[in-house]
Amino acid sequence: MKIIKKITSLLPALMATAVLSLGFAHTAIAAKWDDKMTPDEVEATLDKKFAEGKYSPQGADSCLMCHRRSEKVMDLFKGVHGSMNSSKSPMAGLQCEACHGPMGNHNRGGNEPVIAFGPDSSLSAEKQNSVCMSCHQDDKRMSWSGGHHDNADVACASCHSIHTEKDQVLSKNTEMEVCTSCHTKQKADMNKRSSHPMKWAQMVCSDCHNPHGTMSDSDLVKPSVNETCYSCHAEKRGPKLWEHAPVTENCVTCHNPHGSVHEGMLNTRAPQLCQQCHASDGHASNAYLGNTEHGSSVGGNAFTGGRSCLNCHNQIHGSNHPSGKLFQR
Amino acid sequence: MKFKLNLVTLALLANAGVILPNIAMAEGYGLQNANTEKVKFDKWACKRCEVETGVSGSVGVGVGYNDSNDIRSANAFAAEDEFAGKLDADVKYVSESGYQASIEADNLGMENGRLDVNAGKAGQYNLNLNYRQIATYKTDQAMSPYQGAGSDHLTLPDNWQTAGSSQDMTQLYSSLNPLELSLKRKRAGLGFEYQGEELWSTYVNYQREDKTGLKQASGSFFNQSMMLAEPVDYTTDTIEAGIKLRGDNWFTALNYSGSSFKNQYSQLTFDNAFNPTFGAQTQGTMALDPDNEAHTVSLMGQVTAGKTIMSGRVHYGQMTQDQAFVTSGYGYDMPADSLDGRVDMQGVNLKLVSRISSSVRLNASYDYSDRDNKTNVEEWTQISIDSTTGQVAYNTPYDITTQRAKLGADYRIARGMRLEAGYDYRQDERSYQDRETTDEHTLWTKFRLNSFDEWDMWIKGSYGERDGSEYQASEWTSSESNDLLRKYNLADRKRSMVEARVTHTPIDALTIDFGTRYALDDYNDTQIGLTESKDLSYDINASYLINDDMMVNAFYSRQNIESEQAGSTNFSTPNWYGVVEDQVDVIGAGFSYNNLMEKKLRLGIDYTYSDSNSNTQVTQGITGDYGDYYAKAHNVNVYGQYQATEKMALRLDYKMEKYRDNDAGNDIAPDGIWNVVGFGSNSQDYTAHLIMLSMSYKL
Repeated sequence: MKIIKKITSLLPALMATAVLSLGFAHTAIAAKWDDKMTPDEVEATLDKKFAEGKYSPQGADSCLMCHRRSEKVMDLFKGVHGSMNSSKSPMAGLQCEACHGPMGNHNRGGNEPVIAFGPDSSLSAEKQNSVCMSCHQDDKRMSWSGGHHDNADVACASCHSIHTEKDQVLSKNTEMEVCTSCHTKQKADMNKRSSHPMKWAQMVCSDCHNPHGTMSDSDLVKPSVNETCYSCHAEKRGPKLWEHAPVTENCVTCHNPHGSVHEGMLNTRAPQLCQQCHASDGHASNAYLGNTEHGSSVGGNAFTGGRSCLNCHNQIHGSNHPSGKLFQR
Repeated sequence: MKFKLNLVTLALLANAGVILPNIAMAEGYGLQNANTEKVKFDKWACKRCEVETGVSGSVGVGVGYNDSNDIRSANAFAAEDEFAGKLDADVKYVSESGYQASIEADNLGMENGRLDVNAGKAGQYNLNLNYRQIATYKTDQAMSPYQGAGSDHLTLPDNWQTAGSSQDMTQLYSSLNPLELSLKRKRAGLGFEYQGEELWSTYVNYQREDKTGLKQASGSFFNQSMMLAEPVDYTTDTIEAGIKLRGDNWFTALNYSGSSFKNQYSQLTFDNAFNPTFGAQTQGTMALDPDNEAHTVSLMGQVTAGKTIMSGRVHYGQMTQDQAFVTSGYGYDMPADSLDGRVDMQGVNLKLVSRISSSVRLNASYDYSDRDNKTNVEEWTQISIDSTTGQVAYNTPYDITTQRAKLGADYRIARGMRLEAGYDYRQDERSYQDRETTDEHTLWTKFRLNSFDEWDMWIKGSYGERDGSEYQASEWTSSESNDLLRKYNLADRKRSMVEARVTHTPIDALTIDFGTRYALDDYNDTQIGLTESKDLSYDINASYLINDDMMVNAFYSRQNIESEQAGSTNFSTPNWYGVVEDQVDVIGAGFSYNNLMEKKLRLGIDYTYSDSNSNTQVTQGITGDYGDYYAKAHNVNVYGQYQATEKMALRLDYKMEKYRDNDAGNDIAPDGIWNVVGFGSNSQDYTAHLIMLSMSYKL
């Protein structure tokens, strides 16, 4: 039965993730205090409580006096945040109150606010996140502040859940669903004629991007676009004797890694793509009309048919042949 | 309030006191700011904490039947053969003393299988073993007369008759054999991580990837070309290691990343299918991607001083390549036997984010990156393949230096109302290119409104202008280029973009989301080359929780991209024009029904349809087009899961893919072009099915 429960809870959980990461109010199970206090009052109360530091007399035992009947609460102990043997776990320190803040008078009927997370919390994402970030400070998260998810008010709990055995966003099979619930353009891109194999979850967003932000463009995991590409396409790294300038400068000059209508994730097909930069005297300057009423056809000559320019200039990513200047060998 | 201040922070505070008047009131609820003076930890016994120890999780097996007549369906199904088997596992072990181990296997045995094994002690150390396979399939019907596919020597049959035109090659059709163009990556990794008691942690990860298969290539002599199967047999070893140090308000990390690429084959030799022309060559050789290495060291750090966060990274990298040159069929003297190529990469990134009041936050950043190709410039004689005789050419090792500065602010006008704006500047300096310097200035703004219960909406806009130093179209080209050409990555450009999104939740169970984006790149000083490109897209999504057990969702998106370009056949002002119009429609829908048959059965269906279409037209007096260019794919997944006993569940999946694509330029016979020996038509049209029965057992 538990398996079914787990599986059936997955889809609504994803839905909830989608919903809350889009940021609208979700009023299903709002906290008691949200009925009586405005979000500003809640925040002011939490600030005051945090400064006063009135923690519970018995830590988690005080909290669980009331909350142990909740399966969701107890699921904390299935994951790392509930680990009793780790000096890095909240359970080794302020326990429940490490994240939820000092209990204060919350135990008197649950009317006084504590720090709450997720879709039902009226607390700002920034304040919620300050709790998580105080431990999760490392090279993979150092660019969170001012990064694009931070600016979009995405809370850690928008994507992650810790009161669970398995955090769904950490599973490669469900990661794409979480990301594309907001990034709908990329969802369409991976269905195009050519794309990286993201549609089948062979590759996932986090293979190239770090959702917590990096110091690189588009939160790429490596310092530059090309170095990110080289981490799987090392054969293109070179340096080769004959370099193709836009190839060494930036792969996305010609390719769209999220997907394209054209083969090879190219922005445009050959010969048009090549002719956007090459107009030297000779065949690069010619107009290739394709199918016309005058008898020419797109598949009838080597300039437009077959691999087009690549029929001869096969080594378009650069050549290491002593006679490879024109990328023919 | 109790603060644990370290030396770095103290030093920072001393200098930053003026701009950080409210330093005593730290932002947020970070643990290091917690006021724990009154806590009596000796009473915190955690008697009610219930940590389960021992083995838990589930294991599963599955068998599938795959009905497909096109290997391309293996992209979707991860199954090459008629029958497929898989192993899934999600098993965890926790001991009372904190030792833990886990095994996660997903589709193991299928072409997209994954395995992840971890063992260690929570918060102290972890040993990781992993395996992952990625496979991509293009076709199994590439028709080629060459023998020896998969090796570095492609030969034509003994009875091959060369000819001046592919149509006159009498042995072509009797020699054709189908080839499979597919690539498979197998990655295995080993990692170790150790966390010190307080301040530090360290890690090392090693990975080996073997990539094998065949990919499409072309070998040519003068103006004649043959499509070839290039062997792929790569091995890439990667090591990443680092040490991290942290305190309450600071953090630093030193990382190393090294990669070594080895290609089993350094060259590909192939017979000439045509009558020999210039140089009387009956055999050609191309250089394959050379072995190479790359190493990068980076140092990064971050300091939080009250409401200001400062981060920085410096990195230094080197890419080297020294593979012996291909000499087969190359009879000239060379200045060196191998390139001894080296590229130095350097970068600096600095970023500052500061909340100057509860409603305003500022951010500023500066980025510097430099690619310095140190490879020697030498003189290389080029083989005469055409009527122009053996020329000498010099290699051009490209350098590029990029500097960027960004300044931005976000202002919370009120709760649920936020305005952001910023200015970005970018400068690129390049060597050996038509333009030495380009400068780009961009202004952007975004406004978000989510103060109404049922609505969340935002709009974003940006405008940028790029210009630069004098454009000299023929400075480095071997044959003279049209003076009016502006390469689009160097050209003057006016770039505008506007994007908006609205999410409406009329009732808790229903969400409707609509977004649109329009981008225009106007290459305002370009007469020859890409002159304009427009990109318009919109999408709509809806999801509805019909009741506690039933959910339905739907998705539709359309994108239109239009690129305009111009050329000149008489080497002066434009006299021909090209336009490429792309259109993509994607439709998706899903439905799930849970808790049927006394909560034992769950049913669901997911469907996607995508239609990628492109139309190319070129006009010079008359207008021609490039014919059909489309790909249409339907994918269906119907599944049912039945909880047979408390421990055992059965699942049945049915997957269908109906796929059809065309490219008129390639919808031709192997001898369809007189001077090309091709792979034949590469259009695909198939319907494939996969049925998989799996069983999972809870431990």
